[in-house]
Amino acid sequence: MSRDDRQKLLELRDLRTYFDVEGRTAKAVDGVSFDIYTNEVFGLVGESGSGKSVTSLSIMRLIPNPPGRIESGEIRFRGQNLLDLSFAEMRKIRGNDISMIFQEPMTALNPVFTIGYQLREGIRYHSKCSKAEAEDRATEMLDLVGIPDPRRRLKDYPHQFSGGMRQRAMIAMALSMEPGLLIADEPTTALDVTIQAQILELMLKVREKTGDASILLITHDLAVVAETCDRVAVMYGGKIQEISEVKALFKTPLHPYTQGLLSSLPRPDKQKKTRLDTIPGIVPSIMSMPPGCKFAARCPIAEPRCERDEPELREITPGRFCRCHLVDGKGGGRAW
Amino acid sequence: MVNDSADFGVDTLLDVRNVKIHYPIHGGVFLRRIGEVKAVDGVSFTVKPGETLGLVGESGCGKTTMGKGVIRLVDVTDGEILFRRKNGDVVDLVGLERQAMRPVRAEIQMIFQDPYSSLNPRWSVGDIIAEPLSVHSPDMKRAERDEQVAWLLEKVGLTGEQADRYPHEFSGGQRQRVGIARALATRPRMVIADEPVSALDVSIQAQVVNLMQDLQEEFGLTYLFIAHDLSIVEHISHRIAVMYLGNIVEIGPARTLYEEPVHPYTRALLSAVPLPDPSLERPERMVLKGEVPSPLAKPSGCPFRTRCPLAEPSCAEEMPVLQAVAMDHEVACPIVLRKG
Repeated sequence: MSRDDRQKLLELRDLRTYFDVEGRTAKAVDGVSFDIYTNEVFGLVGESGSGKSVTSLSIMRLIPNPPGRIESGEIRFRGQNLLDLSFAEMRKIRGNDISMIFQEPMTALNPVFTIGYQLREGIRYHSKCSKAEAEDRATEMLDLVGIPDPRRRLKDYPHQFSGGMRQRAMIAMALSMEPGLLIADEPTTALDVTIQAQILELMLKVREKTGDASILLITHDLAVVAETCDRVAVMYGGKIQEISEVKALFKTPLHPYTQGLLSSLPRPDKQKKTRLDTIPGIVPSIMSMPPGCKFAARCPIAEPRCERDEPELREITPGRFCRCHLVDGKGGGRAW
Repeated sequence: MVNDSADFGVDTLLDVRNVKIHYPIHGGVFLRRIGEVKAVDGVSFTVKPGETLGLVGESGCGKTTMGKGVIRLVDVTDGEILFRRKNGDVVDLVGLERQAMRPVRAEIQMIFQDPYSSLNPRWSVGDIIAEPLSVHSPDMKRAERDEQVAWLLEKVGLTGEQADRYPHEFSGGQRQRVGIARALATRPRMVIADEPVSALDVSIQAQVVNLMQDLQEEFGLTYLFIAHDLSIVEHISHRIAVMYLGNIVEIGPARTLYEEPVHPYTRALLSAVPLPDPSLERPERMVLKGEVPSPLAKPSGCPFRTRCPLAEPSCAEEMPVLQAVAMDHEVACPIVLRKG
């Protein structure tokens, strides 16, 4: 199936989310556009401060105001602009159609209620079923995410669950309403690698079972993207720098930043390098973004115009977008 | 000096022998001792001068406790930690009194995981780096100390002028550089690095790893590199020890361990590491069932047997010991060794 035949589930158009901090404006998300199709895993990857989490919170309309506000843009979900909805309408979308799991499952679960209570509460709020039905559904969900003896474990409190089990419970909760879009914000960052492998496998398994659900996976870990996503967007300085199919991105990264990120990773499966390649300098602060390309100051091939003019996100080859003056799809823009 | 240093190899800097670190748990009305956490339960390894030993394992496996035990930030319950000092003396760190431990601490320093909480926010970076100097060389003149601080800052890729600034003015990667400069101030022989790059951004991690390798070469440093990120550990280490629930299950040269892991836990751990290459045909992933048991209720015999795909009834009986499978390569699993 070619990309154009598939249905667009979520369309972000020029989203801008700003924060007012000490009289100045921090442009955390500054003109972000991308599409997520049905039944795809879309990765949003970036370092701290790149704006990836603010993007996901904007989609859920969970930006604290003040100091934050969605300045402009559109967030179309199944054709409807979420920014036009009232708070009550938005609350129905959350959980029912779009649900979210967070990095730290301990802080996202209420410690004074049982896992079962919290699962049933969500199910009953969104589907108005009886208590017994909600209990059955909750049991079924815990079973689906691989928690043994689910009916008994519903009576447990969050502290009685381990980190991996809490994340499973969060996934159960997020999926209990069969949402069209699951937003997973660094879902495995707080977990050990063997548990991370279990959770990633679980997320992909659940996607198969639920049919056409899509996942927006937000992470800083390129290896996690490589193993789970179909397409990926790389963020830096509040802007998308590159969008690509995953395989193409790892094979021939276009943007100098993506190239630098990939070559700075140690690769135990390959011949050992004595030294890692590094990206010089540090991530610019969102309080003082340079006017031109956000990566120019750290880019080894930057030209004077890069510091002056912000490049556009251009389609270089079909389905591959890159925000760089020098990338032309014919080998231009090789930095590392 | 210790009496039994006779078999302490000339080419050994640190010799950890059957170390146990147990934490008591108190409970009940009178806070009686009701149990203990066996965080480190009989660990032995050696480190040669100038090498990096990676210590890996999942949370709760005891790797951080082991590192802290070496510089006695936690009390060691049992065992010996032999260390060769600059003057050639071999001391057992476990038996040392506080006073006697102090000069040894100048020779073993530590770098911490969180560059945000391991630097005092009210002190200038210069004061932070100068503190170990004023503790260990109290006679040093002020001017000389300032000179040292500026020199150290430049060694870690910062500038001498930045000595007057405060930690909040630095980024995470720069703070970790400050932490490294502080650790190097006393010219240690050995540095214990506890997850030194895991709090840093991907593009910054490589900078700090390269810096640590440069400094190792320049000063002949020996690292005990504690981390959960296997790719980074494989890159920086000469040898790697894998810990599980307070024990080392496998130890060997980094490359061998990565290419031909023997212990079922090492194999599972490595197969769980995601690789940044989607075109790679990876071998069947060994997804382990369940989770690490609580160290409070450690299984009898082999601690890994509850999750091990090879477990047999005999595994419950005896704690397996490390046995050599090749030069410098030891594994604690009689089942794999028997099956070959």
